[in-house]
Amino acid sequence: MFNRAAAFIEFAKGADHLKRDLAKKIWIYTIAIVAIGLMALYSATYDNVRVSQKIFYDQLLCASLGFGVMYLFGRMDYRRFYDAAYIFYIVNVILLIMVLLGGRHALGARRWFEIFGISFQPSELTKLAAILMLGRYFSDLRPKLSFNFASKATIVFQHLLVPLFLILATMLLIFKQPDLGTSLLIFGIFIIMLFASGIEYNILFSFLGFCVFLMPFAWNVLKPYQKDRLLVFLNPNIDPLGAGYTIIQSKIAIGSGQFFGKGWLSGTQNQLNFLPERHTDFIFSVIGEEWGMFGALVMILFYFLLIHCSLQIAAQVKDKFGILTLQVVINIGMVMGLFPIVGLTLPFVSYGRSSFLIFAIMMGFLINLSKKRTIF
Amino acid sequence: MRLKIIRLIIIFLFGMIVCELFYVQIIRGRYYFRLSKNNRIRVVPLEGGRGRIFDRNNVVIADNSVSYSVMVTPQEIQKKKKVFDFLSAVLKEDKALLIRRYQQKKFTPFAPVTIAEDISKEKAIVIEENKYLYPSIFVHEGFKRSYPLGEYAAHVVGYVDKINRSRMEKLKRYGYTPQSIIGYSGVEEYYDAYLKGGNGGQQVEVNSRGKQVRLLSLKEPTRGQDLTLTIDSRVQKMTHELLDGKQGVIVMMDMDNGEILALSSSPSFDPNYFLDSSKGRQLSKLFNDPAAPLLNRVTRSSLPPGSVFKAPLAVAGLDTKKINEGTTFDCTGYVELGGIKFGCTHIHGPQNLLESIAHSCNVYYYRLGKMLGPDVIHRYAAIFGFGKLTHIDLPHERAGNLPSRRQRMLSGKRWYEGDTLNFAIGQGDLLATPMQLTKMMAIIAREGWEVQPHVIKTIGGKEVEKYTFEQKVPIHPAVFQTVKKGLRATVKDYTGTAHVLDIPGLHVAGKTGTAQSSGNKEHHAWFAGYILSEKKNVAFCVLLEHGGSSQNACLIARQLLLSLQREQII
Repeated sequence: MFNRAAAFIEFAKGADHLKRDLAKKIWIYTIAIVAIGLMALYSATYDNVRVSQKIFYDQLLCASLGFGVMYLFGRMDYRRFYDAAYIFYIVNVILLIMVLLGGRHALGARRWFEIFGISFQPSELTKLAAILMLGRYFSDLRPKLSFNFASKATIVFQHLLVPLFLILATMLLIFKQPDLGTSLLIFGIFIIMLFASGIEYNILFSFLGFCVFLMPFAWNVLKPYQKDRLLVFLNPNIDPLGAGYTIIQSKIAIGSGQFFGKGWLSGTQNQLNFLPERHTDFIFSVIGEEWGMFGALVMILFYFLLIHCSLQIAAQVKDKFGILTLQVVINIGMVMGLFPIVGLTLPFVSYGRSSFLIFAIMMGFLINLSKKRTIF
Repeated sequence: MRLKIIRLIIIFLFGMIVCELFYVQIIRGRYYFRLSKNNRIRVVPLEGGRGRIFDRNNVVIADNSVSYSVMVTPQEIQKKKKVFDFLSAVLKEDKALLIRRYQQKKFTPFAPVTIAEDISKEKAIVIEENKYLYPSIFVHEGFKRSYPLGEYAAHVVGYVDKINRSRMEKLKRYGYTPQSIIGYSGVEEYYDAYLKGGNGGQQVEVNSRGKQVRLLSLKEPTRGQDLTLTIDSRVQKMTHELLDGKQGVIVMMDMDNGEILALSSSPSFDPNYFLDSSKGRQLSKLFNDPAAPLLNRVTRSSLPPGSVFKAPLAVAGLDTKKINEGTTFDCTGYVELGGIKFGCTHIHGPQNLLESIAHSCNVYYYRLGKMLGPDVIHRYAAIFGFGKLTHIDLPHERAGNLPSRRQRMLSGKRWYEGDTLNFAIGQGDLLATPMQLTKMMAIIAREGWEVQPHVIKTIGGKEVEKYTFEQKVPIHPAVFQTVKKGLRATVKDYTGTAHVLDIPGLHVAGKTGTAQSSGNKEHHAWFAGYILSEKKNVAFCVLLEHGGSSQNACLIARQLLLSLQREQII
């Protein structure tokens, strides 16, 4: 057991450059993003009946809590994560099943349920659980692969099919909620982790080719409105008052911000309720409208720096923090009409307690990784 | 190595986002800025109230009344069933019907749908009082054109309706919008530019539900100008009642100044039906009625004038000195030409000019027509306004038809001598409107002084001066005096064709006409004449389409004159 844990840490940390200030940087960037996010959220809920200002205070509370969690996780001995990875994943699957059976119904989906009066979204937890589970699985696998000259079939089975099966279980559960966005995100995490785990290129690309081949079949599984969303992405003018409405309005919001924006609390698209879901999935359009390209670039820069840090840490610890990257890129891209609307939040900025806390834990985890390497 | 690839992919993805941001916010920024402005700023047009229309005694002919309509904003409906339950209970209309109307008219989620128009004030109050329960419902207050005289003055005043596409395209530059209400036919159309209020507008900032957030700017609409007509609603009412159930026309004009006192065309219609959604069936009936109630027969019905035409022909004969007052022709009951007999109504025997007018002897005018020839008849008929518009201030007037040899040749046919005979008694290709005959009678009665018929008296309180000019036709007044004697004899003589109009105390003169209509239908009955009195000199015309003998027209004229005398209008 201890052996394996050591291997996991070895896998996770790799090089042992000392960069103390990485942790400091992560703190600074995270706080900057959260600050920008809170200001945008304040504006999105400002003097409005449709979106209550309560949401802002809720998020504010959540942020202070989140920083606490981040600090705690940053100091924890993260070998515990390794130990708990599988159990954590199993608990997550159970939670997902529970939410399907008896979750709270809102916005046409069952994504939440209440624990002690606080609503909670297990699919957010899945992001973390999947990373941990896959991290442990691949790190457990690596010694085997490097020491045994396994047959191709064994490699494919052990390296691809087993983790794929594990991931598919949660993907399907989340897809059932239905939450296409998160479900695809989990798959993205899997691909990135698979890629980073050092799988042979020919296996990886045959697998991706197979996925492309499956796409027409997957299309039929989608619900009509999900198809609509994807089609509308290709041409928002198909349905300007229905599914295309949001994307057109958010594009107008961002574009009308021009370089310096219309000013805080002065975005007309935002303040006059033209933007649906602007406090969650479409928060970026509020930033784009009120602070213009300048503000949007500043925020993107902070995300990029944060991701850069995580890559630096990853370079040393070989951890897979693709998740953050992926979600940031997908969210901004979606809001701007680059990607289909699949319902993903912008980390630390969109309103959502579960999302915020999970990202805080991940940041804590990153800090943890950047600090603990001196031990080895 | 693999981390490097991941890093490259990430840089690439971020680069894509930055490029897209640059494209959307900088390159297309102005475009989206304009879109966002259009999104939030709505221009709400405010149409100024339409000017009212009065008769010469300030009796209201067209008025604006406040009307209430119920609107529903689809986006704000919370419980559709409850909303429509409430509406159907208040409006006392079938719920399914209301829902169907709603579904048909629903266009976008934020555009309000009109559920019921022109509801009573009591219902409007009930709905407003319950507004807090049903935020999606509101009562829209607007103006509605109303015509208190209803059918009586329909053809003079016309009606208003929503602007149609062809008018919209032509009038766009003059501030008409697709929501504009515009006049159709009658004064409503002719003087629309004066009646129409100046467009005002509000620029309001709205939210995504189209609800007003604040008023940005306001331009007050201006009210249209009030019109006073020359119409006397009492006379108008009499003429309308006399024509009830008949197809015909009565028009009366003060011949001293061209003011139309009454202008009735029957069958008529109720202008209140337009713009009233509950009267759809009656409206389509109006449009499909073969008797064409919407047609203003006074200016639009071109029929052969028949014997009425003998009056200008007598003027032509005297003015060209082909005949004089004593010229006598012997009526044998017919004139034979090329083996065809051109008949007269009776065998009148020897007739001088005055007798020929009083008895309406065809033979006299066959002879006279032959002497004058078609070109001379044409010239004189043109002087009296045949084939030309009277330019009365009502839209869509028709000019009738004044035949000539030239016209006949241009259509590739020959002019026969028989045509001259028909022309002389007002048959054949000659077509005239009642308005033209009234004007003609006025010229004869005024001994050559022309008059411009019109219905407008004042615009916005100012007297219209356009119609005060006068000019004379190039005919000697002595000629008219002779013909007037004949027209007077028509009424005064015991054997005159319009002797029924010999009313004590009234100087009535005129000419009857029984015009043959095409096919086997009844003849058209005409009487065109004038009254000379101390109060008013009036030229008038009665036409009964397919009314049989001219005697029928005379009987109606008699009733009219008796009522006018009783009411001391003349």
